[in-house]
Amino acid sequence: MTAGTVIIGMGNRLLSDDGVGIAVADGVGKYFDGRMDVTVSELHTGGIRLMEAMSGFRRAVVVDAMLSGAPPGTIRRFDQHTFVTTKNTISSHDTDFATAFELGRLVGVHLPEQVSFWGIEAREFDLFSEKFTDEVAAAVSTAVRSIAAEIQEWESAP
Amino acid sequence: MSRITIDPITRLEGHGRIDIFLDDQGNVENACFQIPELRGFEQFCVGRMAEEMPVITNRICGVCPEAHHLAATKALDGVFGAEPPPTAVKLRELLYMAFFVTDHTTHFYALGGPDFIVGPDAPPSERNILGVARKVGLEVAGEVIACRKRNHEIITFLGGKSIHPVAGVPGGWSRAISADERVQIEETARKNIEFARFSLSIFEKIVLKNPVFMEMVTSDTYLHRTYSMGTVDARNQSNFYDGMIRVVDPEGNEFVKYHPSAYCDHIAERVEAWTYLKYPYLKNVGWKGLTDGMESGVYTATPLSRLNVSEGMATPLANAEYQKMYEAFGCRKITESRYQPIHHRLATHWARLIELLYASERMLELACDPEITSPETRTIPDPARFVGEGVGSVEAPRGTLTHHYVTDGRGVLTRVNMIVGTTNNYAPISMSVKRAAEKLITSAAPDEAILNRIEMAFRLYDPCFSCATHFLPGKMPLTISIRDSRGELQREMRRKL
Repeated sequence: MTAGTVIIGMGNRLLSDDGVGIAVADGVGKYFDGRMDVTVSELHTGGIRLMEAMSGFRRAVVVDAMLSGAPPGTIRRFDQHTFVTTKNTISSHDTDFATAFELGRLVGVHLPEQVSFWGIEAREFDLFSEKFTDEVAAAVSTAVRSIAAEIQEWESAP
Repeated sequence: MSRITIDPITRLEGHGRIDIFLDDQGNVENACFQIPELRGFEQFCVGRMAEEMPVITNRICGVCPEAHHLAATKALDGVFGAEPPPTAVKLRELLYMAFFVTDHTTHFYALGGPDFIVGPDAPPSERNILGVARKVGLEVAGEVIACRKRNHEIITFLGGKSIHPVAGVPGGWSRAISADERVQIEETARKNIEFARFSLSIFEKIVLKNPVFMEMVTSDTYLHRTYSMGTVDARNQSNFYDGMIRVVDPEGNEFVKYHPSAYCDHIAERVEAWTYLKYPYLKNVGWKGLTDGMESGVYTATPLSRLNVSEGMATPLANAEYQKMYEAFGCRKITESRYQPIHHRLATHWARLIELLYASERMLELACDPEITSPETRTIPDPARFVGEGVGSVEAPRGTLTHHYVTDGRGVLTRVNMIVGTTNNYAPISMSVKRAAEKLITSAAPDEAILNRIEMAFRLYDPCFSCATHFLPGKMPLTISIRDSRGELQREMRRKL
């Protein structure tokens, strides 16, 4: 059985823009403050860990920094069919998300019915700092509102 | 060889970049594995309170936060001059064994094992954990997930948090365990032992009984006679949490044994003109380039090197498997319980499984220790004993991890240094990549075969560049560039996601 929604913020909050996914997930958590069926979690590495982090939930939103070449601060949404990877959803020590999800499904892990991925293009991602670059900082509130709207839309669907 | 300027690292493809340099005759002269380095760590830490380090450093790496947390906590014991009580030491080691079990299990089934279980020449899309599940049965994949789950539960309550542990404090551990929790740990350890034995039986069935794979493991493609490093206890047996650093020479003679705090006397870093990587080497042997043998200070810090320095294993089942491995390679006993070192790098996969069994058995020993449920888990630091400097060291799954902190009289950090597990192995990794390249690039082998064999070369070291890079069996965005003696690009091979 699965229930509720998990928002998984990925990355490292000490590594400049790499932590933007965590900040956005925290923001979405605040938006749904007091709701027992909405959970926020932080994850540094993907692959099998990411699949495990969404087990037991009916819906999952993954938010991560992205290095696609788009202008910094660009926000993109992917569903499971269009998603390949964002910065941290792969684990260098096991596998990518799609393989991990398929593995979980095959071995009977309770996985979400709906998963979306949100990427925010990073500018600085290999410098130790707790600050975001300007464009990325400016994208946080937009990303929070968009994700909150998606969750409400999911919840209002029959 | 002319000096090569490495291209700026491009955002995605640059993450796995290998450069191979040829000499005037077109033979491989050097090979290096390019790793984008994180910047500004020291500046980030200096000026902070030292006791923040266990929760800062456990974010350096998403793969082994537990290793950084413990190395940092041990360094703080030194800074504050606070010796942890026996129960705290045992709880730290207990958490660490649960971590080692998940890490080594995952590597074998998801990363290293697919080369053997699915086959080195299978298409990349099949050389992954799903391919393993197809080959050995879906229930095995279920066991891998169950093993991770039961050990993560223990790491969560022992460490105080699911991903980034927080329980380590100077002079101890901030959380004692209850009798019920102890029972859960004991049951988990017993299941881990069974699963480790099962994993070794799969390895035996698929690799050891297959002449083709055995030939690959024992061939000279990945053979480097380097020095071996590992942490040992008072009986000179491998220990992942604490002990002295022991180094044996390529013949197996003890070269040096030193306290981790003396690392600066024994390890130096070499800068080469053709790469920005710094290669650690044994200072008292000297740097002779990317080469092996008694005269070269290149050393290895891996599961295999840890077994090479150990006088047998400290637990009975792991010790039996240890003997089996050395005897399979025809190694002669050189002490009562230690053999000549194995230098065939693909045996690292076998050594990793022996360590998995050891970690499981050690976890059971600790779970059954009468002191483990004691509430005495903390020595409160005494200002009169404050030292202001500390070195903490553990064996990370991928090599010896050292943290070194210096503070002012208030405990504010003034200097931070770190040698992470993988860094130790930069030279051997480059040597294995070079050897694989030597055998392949002058042949008419297609790109795919070259990429596969070069991937196998570095994957056996389980290198960790997790913050910035993604390497996957067959799926990493890898670029291999072959350059001539003038540094001009001759051939480039790419594998994209």
